[in-house]
Amino acid sequence: MEATAKRVIPDDMLHIFKRTMPFQVVSDPMLRKIAARSWRASYDAGALLYDVGDKADDIFIIVSGKVEHALEPGVKARRPVLSLGPGDVFGWAALLEKYPARLAKAVCIEPVEIIRINGEELLRVLESEPDTGDVVMSRFATMITRDYTVPDLIAQLRGIHRQMHSGDIQGMNLTLYRFSLWARSPRPYLMLIGFALFLGFWYLAVEVWKLPRFREMPGITTVVKEWFSKDPTYGLSIYTGEYYQHIAMSVWRVTQAFFLATVLGVPFGLFLGWSRTFKEFLFPAFEMLRPIPILAWVPLAIVMFVATESAVIYLTFLASFFATALNTMLGVESIDESYTRAASCLGASKWQVFRHVIVPGALPFVFTGLQISVGVSWFSLVAAEMVSGQYGLGYVINTSYTMVRYPTIVIGMITLGAVGYVTSAMVRMAGDYMMQWRVRELALGSQ
Amino acid sequence: MAAQKFNTTSLARGLVSILLFLVLWEIGSRSKHWLGADIFGPLREALGAMGFKKTYIPWIGAVPAPTEVLRAWVDVIGDAGYWHSWYMSSFRVAAGFVAAMLIGIPFGLMLAVNRTAFGIGFPVFEVLRPIPPLAWVPASIIFWPTQEMSIAFVTFLGAFYTIVINVVGGARSIDGRYFQAAQSMGSSRWDIFRRIILPGTLPSIVVGSAVGMGITWEVVVAAEMISGGGSQIGGTSGGGLGFFIWNSYVGGSYEQIVVGMISIGIAGFISSELLRSLGKYVTPWLRLR
Amino acid sequence: MAAGMQAARPAASRGAIRIEDVVKVYDPDGAAVMAVDHCSLDIEPGEICMIVGPSGCGKTTLLNAIAGFHSITSGSITLDGEVLCSERKPKAEPGSDRIVVFQNGALFPWKTNLENVAFGPTMLGKLSKSEVTEKALGMMADAGLSGVEHNFPGEVSSGVRRRVEIVRALMNDPKVLLLDEPYRALDSLTKSVMHEALLEIYYKNKVTIFFITHDLEEAIFLGHKVAIMTTRPCKPKKVLTVDIPHPRDYSVLTSKRFRELMEETSDAVHEEALKAFRAGEKEG
Repeated sequence: MEATAKRVIPDDMLHIFKRTMPFQVVSDPMLRKIAARSWRASYDAGALLYDVGDKADDIFIIVSGKVEHALEPGVKARRPVLSLGPGDVFGWAALLEKYPARLAKAVCIEPVEIIRINGEELLRVLESEPDTGDVVMSRFATMITRDYTVPDLIAQLRGIHRQMHSGDIQGMNLTLYRFSLWARSPRPYLMLIGFALFLGFWYLAVEVWKLPRFREMPGITTVVKEWFSKDPTYGLSIYTGEYYQHIAMSVWRVTQAFFLATVLGVPFGLFLGWSRTFKEFLFPAFEMLRPIPILAWVPLAIVMFVATESAVIYLTFLASFFATALNTMLGVESIDESYTRAASCLGASKWQVFRHVIVPGALPFVFTGLQISVGVSWFSLVAAEMVSGQYGLGYVINTSYTMVRYPTIVIGMITLGAVGYVTSAMVRMAGDYMMQWRVRELALGSQ
Repeated sequence: MAAQKFNTTSLARGLVSILLFLVLWEIGSRSKHWLGADIFGPLREALGAMGFKKTYIPWIGAVPAPTEVLRAWVDVIGDAGYWHSWYMSSFRVAAGFVAAMLIGIPFGLMLAVNRTAFGIGFPVFEVLRPIPPLAWVPASIIFWPTQEMSIAFVTFLGAFYTIVINVVGGARSIDGRYFQAAQSMGSSRWDIFRRIILPGTLPSIVVGSAVGMGITWEVVVAAEMISGGGSQIGGTSGGGLGFFIWNSYVGGSYEQIVVGMISIGIAGFISSELLRSLGKYVTPWLRLR
Repeated sequence: MAAGMQAARPAASRGAIRIEDVVKVYDPDGAAVMAVDHCSLDIEPGEICMIVGPSGCGKTTLLNAIAGFHSITSGSITLDGEVLCSERKPKAEPGSDRIVVFQNGALFPWKTNLENVAFGPTMLGKLSKSEVTEKALGMMADAGLSGVEHNFPGEVSSGVRRRVEIVRALMNDPKVLLLDEPYRALDSLTKSVMHEALLEIYYKNKVTIFFITHDLEEAIFLGHKVAIMTTRPCKPKKVLTVDIPHPRDYSVLTSKRFRELMEETSDAVHEEALKAFRAGEKEG
């Protein structure tokens, strides 16, 4: 391999270090120290940078070009072969205790420009400022686990203050790093283009070109003006108390219904899945009632629940209940029977199996069900409010139409969408919190 | 848990449960009491003591009994208007559903296959999705010239979201190795699309349509009730089973309400089964050995 | 081999399994399928007994019968003289004296490795919480698993997971360890490491091991006794005593005796494999 090497001019190359995961949060003076011990080299396409078993001395950062990095099978990486590009760091075997030898084969796919840092010297610089050193090593740990998928090796990373272990994969680090990558990608701009197209079309179609059917619709400027005005023409804006009253009303109803549906639906679903007898007795009746659309219940609900408020909550509850119970049941049924068998082998009683295997095992499905259930609640609530409610966002949309307050219709719709999204996200976050094990498993195993 | 075997005991138990349900219903209705006969009295007292408002407990006594419902049903079977409602609702469901598939599947595939399209289209889609389809009803009525078209649009929306999400999810979850295998055998991009992406997404499309069908029924019934006179919105009758139910309520014949409800349940069940068979026909490779 | 030389094994007093004339007939949808055909096998206490056979031949059924997950149609299985299952009592009760390590791993993903290992004793409730934790940490350290106690199974490699599962099984001090092709999904490099790790654990804990595999090399390397099963319905075709002395390490693989044993048995295995292939058996 022909390498043309020259010393790194510190300030020139600092931004390259800042693009990499391990060095992203290091201060400039520290970076200069590191840069002073690195040098640049260029390689042709096809050049072999190192092979498995070679002495591991340097760490590599790609400035430009592509490198194929293939970990040897004994390392048991989930994704042994990676294609690395600018900003990627490899050659970290130089930082491991037991492996002064290379674990992978690195070949240039295109002509590349690389920054090489001697591992020992890097460690010495990091030791001179141990706090930063710890951070850098933990970021190496995250990178090795997440991108190279070899979590077993991070126990061998040379520690600065202390040994690294898998608890050091810091979620926040990872989140911020991924966010910085996302911000640099085209994705946010495409998103803006999408919204611009949509809103632009709305504006033009209604207010500028005045297309045939669009003429009657409320225009985007009217809606925005109304929504944010201190003295709205039609009485509802973010400055009026009434607006929040309606939101609160709808949210309160959904909360009640959702709560009831969860408290009744989850245990019901768990038993349906766990006990065949229970299912044989109760599932047929359940399945008979389920296909009846929620709104078909409206008249009956009005008859059964003398107060309209209860009728509305009942309808919202129904939809939610069916979704929750069904998904919970499916969750229990999809638990691999090896788990229950293993538990009974190990001495667990039937009740212990239920508590330690069935309930946690079904939890992911339960939460998916709960998310669906929240969405379904909003669906039913709006319909119920439109038909027979007082107050609430569905009611607002309905009456705004009859009273010819068109901009308020749109305000109602947008508010509905936002509130619905927030409630759904809250359920999802609750699920993530309760199932840490799944979040970590997914993070390490995602494609 | 292994799949349950379908044997005579489970069938018997199922029948018992349905029978029990009907019997309880009958007793509850005939007694004309809160929560049915006085055997529920203590339950009502207990719930009341726990702080539940009386109005939270359904007044089963007001619900017509199964026997009365059956009688009303026998009466209505001879009425042509009843079957016309069946036809109207089924037609709307089919139309809205087909439209959602025709537009949703290509849209979803486009999003899944082209990264730029996804970046532009998906965020807007996701922002609009939490708005319940029924919230679009007034806007739809303003926009579309006829009532039929406004109902159709709302119906379309309901199924559209589900189908697109399922298509996108399905396309993305196709194992990458299929692509690699195809490319190593020299397939063109169009070939890959036709022979890998399309069939690979089919199972998700099938699942998406099953769920979408359920939602479509919900929306159709709701739209029929709302525009048929359920609220102040809407003009003349639109027909359909939703309207049938509402009409029965307004007309005071409660037994017919229940007839209508069960009819819709049956109709929904039939359409789901049709879809499921169609799905099996289209994806024979999923038949388990 | 001289008459007096026996394959040395740690003296154990419990864990003797007797499989006597066991028959298992399945009846899916009315078509009687015989999975096990008059199978008889004796397993000494503390012995490593390897069951080799083609996929789908019924070996797992035997294991499940011992463990108590499936019933038998006739015959009997006894453990240390006590009847586990027989014609009168077709299904044994799962218990912590016979613990299974499953093919695809059954570590609870929602518990940490330490919680998994401590599961058995925690459920049985005989020891206090601190005693359980101490024992768990000790056994994990013994097996070379320090450092991963507080990880979730999903965060570590499958080799590590397998070892944790074996330690979990041993925590209850069982008489028998039932292993159902536990290393099937691992690559050969990791496998050889796993084998040595298993033997190390075995030398420290006197358990009977009932190990199902389709890998003849693995069987001869690990086992005291190797039973080669016919294709479905299964019964022992050939039972072989491996007289290579324990403790063994991987240099055994290249020894003369090992080669001889392989030659003796590979014909039998191959014959059954061909039969199974022709019968179009689904993967077990």
